[in-house]
Amino acid sequence: MPREPKQAEAALQKLGQRVRAGWAKKHPISERSLATVRTTVREVWEQQEKERRAKLFSPKIPPPPKKKGKDKDKGRGHEPEI
Amino acid sequence: MDDLIQLVCAYQKTAELDERTQIAESIFRVVEPKMSFFVFNSVRPSAADDVLQEVLIGILKSLQSFSGTTEGEFLKWCHGVARHKIHDQYHTQKNERFQPLPPEEITELVDLSATVTPLATGEWLDLAYAMKLLAESKPECVEYLLKHFITGLDYGEIAEELKVNYDAARMKIGRCLETVRELVA
Repeated sequence: MPREPKQAEAALQKLGQRVRAGWAKKHPISERSLATVRTTVREVWEQQEKERRAKLFSPKIPPPPKKKGKDKDKGRGHEPEI
Repeated sequence: MDDLIQLVCAYQKTAELDERTQIAESIFRVVEPKMSFFVFNSVRPSAADDVLQEVLIGILKSLQSFSGTTEGEFLKWCHGVARHKIHDQYHTQKNERFQPLPPEEITELVDLSATVTPLATGEWLDLAYAMKLLAESKPECVEYLLKHFITGLDYGEIAEELKVNYDAARMKIGRCLETVRELVA
């Protein structure tokens, strides 16, 4: 007599939890991965610092006024210039 | 709030390099084994470690933009990054991608987990039943069942990974489970 569908599902889920826990025990974070984490954190931080400084010390130039597009009025009744 | 999410929030707010590095190490002591399980079960073993490093770099480079609020959302997001990295690098080697866990390795991992959290009374019977379900599954079902129940991906993630729609993934897993359940009576 087969088990109930919910029981089968629960058994497989329990197995999954056990397998993942066993994997984490067997393969804790490696030295190589830790080195990758440290290097990448530094790279990201340096990039952010660079951007922050560039923003801080850049001369404040007001944004150019919005151009009144010469195409703005194009449309019906506005023939293109030849 | 989950511990992992608290760490992610702290990482996003911290401007000091040393503090940020410490927090990142704490995050990845939890996340790296989960990502390595995912990667090692998706690509050939000889390439898996290099892909794993790419995944870690990808996660860290986008970590500031993560905006979820639960551990589940964060891990799902990490799986998404991993999936893209695997796809980017190995989409041309489709035949080498899926590496199902051999039954003896499943048993070994269960035994290892029991050294951390001992098995409850009767739990071994359930686990043996689950292993039998996997062993008796049709070949086309094994990938779906392993990804859903063992790797822990939800239907949406499986659908994305196997390029099928959500309902197709959900129904396939339901049918596979039903068939093998009848078989292992």
